[in-house]
Amino acid sequence: METKSTSNYLLIPIAIVIAGVIIAGAVYAGIRTPTQGSAQRPQAVAQGSGDLEKMTAVSKSDHIRGNPDAPVKIVEYSDTECPFCKRFHETMRNVMDEYGPSGKVAWVYRHFPLDQLHPKADKEAEALECAGELGGNEAFWKYADRLFEVTPANNGLDAAELPNIAKFIGLDVQEFNTCLSSGKWAAHVEEDTQNAMATGGSGTPWSIIVAANGKKFELSGAQPEATVKQLIELALKEK
Amino acid sequence: MLIQALYKVFRQPAYTIVAFVSGATVFALAVWLPNLPLIIRVMGHTDASLKDKIGLPLSLLGSITTNFSVFSGVLTIAIAILFGINLAMFAYYLKYRVALVQRGGIATGFLGVVSGVLGTGCAACGSFVLMSGFSLVGASGALAILPFGGAEFGLLGVALLIASIIITAMYIQNPAVCSINP
Repeated sequence: METKSTSNYLLIPIAIVIAGVIIAGAVYAGIRTPTQGSAQRPQAVAQGSGDLEKMTAVSKSDHIRGNPDAPVKIVEYSDTECPFCKRFHETMRNVMDEYGPSGKVAWVYRHFPLDQLHPKADKEAEALECAGELGGNEAFWKYADRLFEVTPANNGLDAAELPNIAKFIGLDVQEFNTCLSSGKWAAHVEEDTQNAMATGGSGTPWSIIVAANGKKFELSGAQPEATVKQLIELALKEK
Repeated sequence: MLIQALYKVFRQPAYTIVAFVSGATVFALAVWLPNLPLIIRVMGHTDASLKDKIGLPLSLLGSITTNFSVFSGVLTIAIAILFGINLAMFAYYLKYRVALVQRGGIATGFLGVVSGVLGTGCAACGSFVLMSGFSLVGASGALAILPFGGAEFGLLGVALLIASIIITAMYIQNPAVCSINP
């Protein structure tokens, strides 16, 4: 009699737990799906199964801010019309202000324009490349900084601003326009985009922190500066 | 009715804890979602210190201010809070129902208790517990299927949760009976 009573006593909480697990499972299934396009995922595309090792190795052809031989490299795949990329650009500038002078960290910029959301971003990515072609790495970064500064994001930048930015940073506007209208960098932008998706990027900004020993850490979205710094410190421990 | 039910539930500290823990869990999951693979990678990383393993998820919570629009951030917090309240009230109701079921001798075995818990209600009213559970799924599911972040339809999730809380409050105040209209 006592055994049966004890057993019944235990069954109740167990049953509640099981009921809770069933409901929690259903809830989890419900909130798990949004990785493809949730409220918090700023700018997303269809997600593919990515492999960080498919990241194209950082080379001299990349646009690098900071020491090209830095032990930690942050490879950012970005969209100039994505509001979260605009925010993360500032975060990365702050990070580089802190880690750049010591030569410990380099910031590598690659293109990941989400043309379904921001049709203007493709051309803006080409404009960045034209700036790089005409004025070198320094001009590329000046152009990027200025573009992120002036764009209202969400496809809001007037295309007429692109030569104005070129002029602002001291480039020859005519040469810039010739480069931009040629579309010569479109294939390169597409290569970067394909590479971003191959590594698992499903939205922007998409960043990969690469340690000296090649260990990689992925970072999705415009995460706080504190998070980026923690990952840098973790990557610096990798020898 | 709602205030009374809330008072009845949350005057017991255990339900306040349930609400806080479940709400915080939903919030953390929502914020961590884009970077769950990173969190798992760092957790399993042998060179990562305990400080790293604790610090990274904590710092990622800050992305509510950097990786969310104001609107979606407010909705996410609202959904987390409402989820916590809903779950606590739901747990309170379940406990009450289980006690009734047990006293009535309906549950004769383990499966009977489980089905009794999940199937609370009556033939005419349907299963309140499952419906309540579905409302929770519906709230998150509404966000899940939206391609553009769900900020706009997140309001629907909030509405569903509020409705669920009100319905649960009604059941807490008037439990276990199906009213018969004369």
